Amino acid sequence: MTRKLIKSVINIENKEHEFIGEVSLLEQETWGKNDTLKIIGKEISRIDAVDKISGTASYTSDINLPGQLYGKFLRSPYPSAKILKIDLSKANALKGVKHILTYENTAKYKWYYETSFLLDPIVRYEGDEVAFVAAESEEIAEEALKLISIEYAKLPFVVDTEKASTEKNIKVHNWGNIVEPSEYKRGNIETGFADADFTIEDEFRTSVVLHNPTEPHCSVVNWDNDELVIYDSTQAVYQIRELAANALGIEQEKVRVIKKYMGGGFGSKLDLGKYTIAAAIVSRELKKPVKVVMDRKEQNLCVGNRPDSIQKFKVGIKKEGLLTALQLNSMGTVGAFPEGAGLSWPAKTMYKCPNLLVNEKSILTNAGAARAFRAPGHVQGIFGLESLMDECAAKLNMNPLEFRLKNYTEVDPVSNQPYTSKKLKEAYKKAADLIGWEDWKAAGSSKSVNRIGLGMASQIWWGGGGPPAHANIKLDKKGNITIYSGTQDLGTGTYTFIAMVASEVLQIPIERFNVVIGDTKLCPYAPVSGGSMTAPSVSPAVRDAAERLKEKLMDTAAILFDEEKNSIKYSNGFCVNSDGSKKVSLSEIAGHLNEQDLLIKGSRNENPKGYAINTFGAQFAKVEVDTLTGKVTVLKISASYDIGRVLNKLTLDNQIRGGIIMGLGYALMEERIIDENFGKVLTTNLHTYKIPTMMDIPEIVIEIASDYDPMISNTGVKGVGEPAIIPTAAAIANAVNNALGVRIKSLPITPDKVLIALYVSK
Amino acid sequence: MKTTIKFICNDRVISTNIHPAVSLLDFIRKQEHLTGTKEGCREGDCGACTVLLGELKGNEVIYKNVNSCLLPIGDVAGKHVVTIEGLNSDVLSPIQESFISETATQCGFCTPGFIVSLTSFVLNTNHFTFDSAVESIAGNICRCTGHISIKRAVSKMLTFIDPVFNGNRIEDLINKNFLPKYFLEIPVKLKGLSSETYEGKAVNSPEFVISGGTDLFVQKWEELIKTEVSFIPPSGDKEKIRVSGNFVIIKANTTITEFKESEIINKHFPALNEKLKLFGSLPIRNRATLGGNIINASPIGDMVNILLALDTKMYFIKDNGVRELPLNKFYLAYKTLDKQKDEILDEISIPIPAEDCLFNYEKVSKRTYLDIASVNSSILLAVHNGIINKINISAGGIAPVPKLLAQTGEFLLFKKISTDNVSEAIKIAMQEINPISDARGSADYKKLLLKQLIIAHFVTLFPDFVSIEELV
Ligand SMILES: Cc1cc2nc3c(=O)[nH]c(=O)nc-3n(C[C@H](O)[C@H](O)[C@H](O)COP(=O)(O)OP(=O)(O)OC[C@H]3O[C@@H](n4cnc5c(N)ncnc54)[C@H](O)[C@@H]3O)c2cc1C
Ligand code: FES
Ligand code: FES
Repeated sequence: MTRKLIKSVINIENKEHEFIGEVSLLEQETWGKNDTLKIIGKEISRIDAVDKISGTASYTSDINLPGQLYGKFLRSPYPSAKILKIDLSKANALKGVKHILTYENTAKYKWYYETSFLLDPIVRYEGDEVAFVAAESEEIAEEALKLISIEYAKLPFVVDTEKASTEKNIKVHNWGNIVEPSEYKRGNIETGFADADFTIEDEFRTSVVLHNPTEPHCSVVNWDNDELVIYDSTQAVYQIRELAANALGIEQEKVRVIKKYMGGGFGSKLDLGKYTIAAAIVSRELKKPVKVVMDRKEQNLCVGNRPDSIQKFKVGIKKEGLLTALQLNSMGTVGAFPEGAGLSWPAKTMYKCPNLLVNEKSILTNAGAARAFRAPGHVQGIFGLESLMDECAAKLNMNPLEFRLKNYTEVDPVSNQPYTSKKLKEAYKKAADLIGWEDWKAAGSSKSVNRIGLGMASQIWWGGGGPPAHANIKLDKKGNITIYSGTQDLGTGTYTFIAMVASEVLQIPIERFNVVIGDTKLCPYAPVSGGSMTAPSVSPAVRDAAERLKEKLMDTAAILFDEEKNSIKYSNGFCVNSDGSKKVSLSEIAGHLNEQDLLIKGSRNENPKGYAINTFGAQFAKVEVDTLTGKVTVLKISASYDIGRVLNKLTLDNQIRGGIIMGLGYALMEERIIDENFGKVLTTNLHTYKIPTMMDIPEIVIEIASDYDPMISNTGVKGVGEPAIIPTAAAIANAVNNALGVRIKSLPITPDKVLIALYVSK
Repeated sequence: MKTTIKFICNDRVISTNIHPAVSLLDFIRKQEHLTGTKEGCREGDCGACTVLLGELKGNEVIYKNVNSCLLPIGDVAGKHVVTIEGLNSDVLSPIQESFISETATQCGFCTPGFIVSLTSFVLNTNHFTFDSAVESIAGNICRCTGHISIKRAVSKMLTFIDPVFNGNRIEDLINKNFLPKYFLEIPVKLKGLSSETYEGKAVNSPEFVISGGTDLFVQKWEELIKTEVSFIPPSGDKEKIRVSGNFVIIKANTTITEFKESEIINKHFPALNEKLKLFGSLPIRNRATLGGNIINASPIGDMVNILLALDTKMYFIKDNGVRELPLNKFYLAYKTLDKQKDEILDEISIPIPAEDCLFNYEKVSKRTYLDIASVNSSILLAVHNGIINKINISAGGIAPVPKLLAQTGEFLLFKKISTDNVSEAIKIAMQEINPISDARGSADYKKLLLKQLIIAHFVTLFPDFVSIEELV
């Protein structure tokens, strides 16, 4: 038996999911260090690059099906209202309008964990869906939106997180504004504080930020008889298949989800869109394809965000630097529908601290709903925790790095399990050396107009991946090899590493591999591309498939040569017999086999039991602050990580840099701003919602601290997509504090906050 | 009147009768199905829609990178549009090669825009430096790569360029595979077109007059395509900026790029070139006009702020009559102008400052580049023996209109440059302004920021005469 079924629990984007899935039992040793390998770990340019640099790559928003209609949502202009009357007569009379959905003529498709519907007579945020128009062109659809007349009864609203948390009269849902408050306890917090030589209380805040991938969310849907085909810009073809089938009440097998290229997601494309289902309903009714593409305003209102946070800490420390107790009360808004704003995992797991008490609340407000955003919770949580750790070190006149090393933990403090691997100490050292940490001086040492500061922060995340994850490998009679996996490439390099892993095993050039992913009809199941789990889940499945193919080739060669199998050698795409006199190529073997195609399935193994699997890392920042204008310029970031094995140095570095720059945006400029008087979002385009450009980019140096994880899989890979962003804002904030001797305790650190901190609050 | 718009898109002549205010982006994606050009924001903020716009000047075609989402198709008539598809040939260009080898593409959605902008750079620049190459792509946003691999690709690309072009740059670039061969035929083809195409000017009292379109297409694009429009296109006649006596005369349709690169401007206002990097991005500057900036009347317009400090006068035309008006009399209240609807701003004039005049410009925004100011301020002053004998200070973002701080200037006139005087002047300035709180900052912050910017003016121009420690 080479496979078995298991139950597995895995953390995706801060939520635990349980699966039953098939795993591989083949005992493939993890590869040795990358310098013993030919392809893996090397700088290999991506195999899909030519499509992208020539503009020929087709994204979902580029797909047009013959006879397609264009869909557009009418969205609520109010943060809270009840729809009293809908008049569609003018819109329906417009030439080219084919169908309009409203709550009055549409079945009650449940949405947002059954707290609302696809179209709901109550609208709970500016941007909430009111009606869906399908028309012959986008222009006509837009025109029709203006012709729909809606009578609303405006309702009171609340958009401020703190206010909503105590508000008695204004409720986002009739059951209240607080979603599942949670508590976590470890040890005894009182004894912890009693043991401390010092206690510090502090509060840190972060803002709501928006994913803003460059390609807007979009779907093109069509019914092919009773099969629903969805082209979707998604991070999760299988999950969309399941959610769409459930929403429409049809069998999953009747839904095919396809995604080839997509313009980024960062978590916002993990969920099913209302636009997809509205389009599917209209498409079924009219028997025509329907295309829906969000505009940038919808992107900024309606497709998710990272909750804000208010983090109140109390910490107890010993004179020599040990943490004795940590208390955290936090809340954040998840917008108008239940989601999680929890952020305490870093506080629970980053350091050895025996006594902990955490209380967290997710708060409903009349704003767009939250959605997983690159390391949900951890990005906010690390900012608070690592700012606090710096304050502790300052209290003790200790170097911040030394303080962190004092509280280093070798076991996961929540489960008490050892880690499969943890090379954070090595990462600290490398990143510190790269920034020149020996120059670190206590905060506020400089008095010049332009002040330089150094800061650091640590990082923890899951990212071990896990089963079920499968890959099929197919060899045809001409010797072409195709690999199929129901995973997806968000631009992160999935296509490329799949070919690299297979190439490493089969010892033939990567150009020989054709990779097909992102299609639920052609590909076996693989998990969502979230939680930094694509490479750690999929690469072992690909290796398993390629190894099994190699076995089969050698079996066949043994029969061809009429020799024992274990005398056959495999090298560079050939099987050679014991004395080297006979040699047969992979395509020749394929030709001999009486199967038209040789199709072999590979699977991810089970994760080791009794161990915690985490990624670790550290970033150090060097900043310059202009005290005249309040401008912060990040000069340099150094980063070092334990992310197991590096599959491809080029795409890895890109992922880390991309995460760092997104973290820099979070630290210095990104924030959703809502006008409290009207409940309207003021930052609905890229003009007002600022993300970093070419001109904001510091020098970035990266060194990886790990060779490979020896226990988790046959490739020993852990994920990096999310770890990359986690520590950046905290490291920058700590560096700004170091430069100024004044701490800005809320993100983003904009010029106004710096100036006010320097000259007004004094 | 010719209503058919004819232009060359890549290597094909296109003829269309579509409404002239339809954006080029919509046309190429929806009508021509050239989907390599992406739509990311429709507001000029992401660069995913970047194309090359080539205009015939004499026998040459001059190319610029522009945002096709803000570009009215009527203004493309008689010109050459190049999309990413039009840059592809049998071999990859060195720019494309560099993007591959440095993995400067991740999801790839932004990539065509970068490639087009860099192609415009190699077509135009006389500074083959890393910094100016990077500046040419500062209007292209990438959310995935963190831009560093793109910077590496830029360095790599530069190694393929021999900065000395022998004669015809287009020919050289074709030989080096930067451009496909058909570029050579474009000048002749464009000449053939010019007599046949729509001209865009003939409508009497149109609802909208479009110049660069960079404000109008953000604010009103849905209205534009429903009404009659006419163009004052920012095309480059040679004589847009000239000296007449003691004045520099500038056509209203001069683009920020033309202004920034003008020899005349650089001679008389050397500080501006560097500062104008803070205006939008290169593709925006390639289209945005001085006239549009003035008429748009944003309280934080950058050109307006600078021109206010420079004693600018405006010349309007209407029915062959000309009206002169000082810029500082133009703004009556928020977006209310001393101008009749059908008056066209034809030219502006700036007195050439005396030799000893000093100028400084400061702008602070949330994001340093490609952002609108929270507060901006310009100062022009002349100092004789330590005494100020001419001074203008303008400020934006602190009132409903762009403002000359008249009382502040008056106070400083004929005073010594000293910490005390600057300090006193700041107090007066604070009385002259009434900022409001908005997404760019609170009213208190804007006051504080203006104070800081006035300090910055004096610290920059007279570091030895004022004490920054005492002023802040
Ligand atoms: C991404 C982006 C970044 C930007 N960054 C900046 C910045 O940093 N600083 C800044 O100040 N601005 C910025 N802008 C705003 C804009 O680019 C400028 O205001 C520009 O100067 C407008 O010029 P235009 O020719 O494009 O105007 P248009 O949009 O063509 O016209 C604007 C208005 O002026 C009228 N008009 C134009 N010319 C005339 C004329 N000759 N006579 C009568 N009326 C006329 C038009 O009818 C219209 O009402 C930015 C815009 C974008 C989209
Ligand atoms: S689409 Fe973003 S700049 Fe044009
Ligand atoms: S590669 Fe994704 S936006 Fe640039």
